[in-house]
Amino acid sequence: MAADLAEIRTISDETLMLEFQGGSHPAFEQLFARYHGPLYGFFRRRLNGDQRAEDLTQETFLAVIRGADRYTPSALLRTYLYGIAMNLLAAERRKRAKDSPQGKEAPEPATREAPDSVLWTRQALEKLDDSEREILMLREYEQLSYAEIADLQNLPVNTVRSRLFRARMALKEHLEPAPKTPETAAASESRENRGLTRAEGEAI
Amino acid sequence: MNKTIHPIEPEELMAYLDGELTSDRATATAAHLGECVECQGLAAELRSVSQNLKAWKAEPSKSTTPPAIAAALAENRPASRDAFPAPQRSWREVLGQHWPTVAWAGTAAAVLIVVFGAVRFIGSNANNVFSQVGSQMENSDSDRNRLAASLPPPSPPSAAPVNGREFKQLVQLSPGVVQANQSVTEHGLVENGPMIIRTAQLSVITKEFDKARANLEAILKRHRGYVGELKANDTTGSGRTLTATLRVPADQLDATLTEVKALGRVESESQSGQDVTSQYVDLQARLANARNTEQRLTDLLRNRTGKLSDVLEVEQELDRVRGQIEQMEAERKTMANQVSYATLNATISEDYKAQLQVVPPSTATRLSNAAVDGYRSMVDGVLSLALFLLSNGPSLLLWGAILFMPARFVWKKARRSLAS
Repeated sequence: MAADLAEIRTISDETLMLEFQGGSHPAFEQLFARYHGPLYGFFRRRLNGDQRAEDLTQETFLAVIRGADRYTPSALLRTYLYGIAMNLLAAERRKRAKDSPQGKEAPEPATREAPDSVLWTRQALEKLDDSEREILMLREYEQLSYAEIADLQNLPVNTVRSRLFRARMALKEHLEPAPKTPETAAASESRENRGLTRAEGEAI
Repeated sequence: MNKTIHPIEPEELMAYLDGELTSDRATATAAHLGECVECQGLAAELRSVSQNLKAWKAEPSKSTTPPAIAAALAENRPASRDAFPAPQRSWREVLGQHWPTVAWAGTAAAVLIVVFGAVRFIGSNANNVFSQVGSQMENSDSDRNRLAASLPPPSPPSAAPVNGREFKQLVQLSPGVVQANQSVTEHGLVENGPMIIRTAQLSVITKEFDKARANLEAILKRHRGYVGELKANDTTGSGRTLTATLRVPADQLDATLTEVKALGRVESESQSGQDVTSQYVDLQARLANARNTEQRLTDLLRNRTGKLSDVLEVEQELDRVRGQIEQMEAERKTMANQVSYATLNATISEDYKAQLQVVPPSTATRLSNAAVDGYRSMVDGVLSLALFLLSNGPSLLLWGAILFMPARFVWKKARRSLAS
């Protein structure tokens, strides 16, 4: 069994999924081991309250099990999984919006152990535009490629790239609101201008 | 400071750092980056943004409870494995990440299963003790629940955390397994394949309407269907029509359609199918989830003591969750019903033949009718003459007066010429 496990660790996600379709439980367990943590992180960062994060992670896997027959290896399994996760997340957000129409989510309580820098980062992320934040998070936390993000968000790859760039620049701004020395300010400004002209050119 | 100095777009630089450039562009970028200070600065900024973001770590999930998943796995492939080995295997897999000795965990699990089995025989009191241990572990695992957080602080989890977790999983396992079995028996048929709501519409014209209607009912009976709605119309001047919404078992729909078509001439026919598999799966997942929450809340209520307001709050929450469960359950049943019973909207109309009314009325009636007619036409004649005179008399008199003299003159002239 240990040898099996060692062997199974080197197999690609898609092959594992196909084996699971063929009825192999160890294949699924390997997938679970690979993606439980990342998916948990996905929900945890996007929702307040980790109870729901764990529930939704499990729901994602349940959906995979129940929809196993319909999976076709046309897309990466990773994209498939995050696609399911995105849908569940959207449903959860809708539900929350319905439950508390004033739209004010309860502040995250679990910040005891979080250092200040993390709080800063999270606050800065909150300030970003929704779509840009999602793209940035998919890139930084889920480590998806531009093409995968484009696939998930239904956007052209170039748009993903320019939004990602804007998001990173905006985040940098939010992270260091301290007054700059004139020359660095000028330098970064000129860079941003280049970024902007590029973005505008694309928009036109 | 313009683009001639930077052959590389800032976005390209970012893509380079992300490893998203083609190899030739990447080489060019690397070369430029080697000599351009400004771009090096930008690269450093981009890296620091990424580093800042990386600092936010979602603490790894501590509750490694896949009983629902294990149950779903077992349910999904009933032939390959029975319900119990699968959860054990997946635990071992997950445990393997946390503790190096997989065998150790296996032994511990086996011992605990024995203990658990014994406890179940001993009785419910002992069981409560275990679930209390479980729920305390759960609360200390994470600050997940504001209700839990408002209750007295749980005992520190330091004492044998592994065992505590194992207990919780075992305690949680039993409802999960029961649930899975229920769902297999309830809708074992629809669970596996795609779930499709089938709807058909059929319009038939028949010459023998009564016979067709009787046949329709026989067909429905034969295929174990039922009438959802039925409306029959018999308006004069057109044929009779029957509009019915029939529900037949999905696998009988085709046979039913064929037989209904044989009732007469088919005027129109259409079929449609709506795939609701994903909706159904989603609903089931939410339902399972709500049931877990309910279970947790019940345990909480049973095993924890706290302020009255806290207890009330838990009860309110429990009420809300139960309401949700009811609602989702109803939704699920409706959907399952729609899938297992196809809807057939059938219209049967009669081929209408216009018929002459040839019933002769009696002689007396005819005489009296004739008398009435005669009287009426006499009155009508008098009346219309009077009306004519009244309306045209004045102008006739006027024209008579005007034309009298010329007419007399002409008349006299004519008589004279005749006489001569």
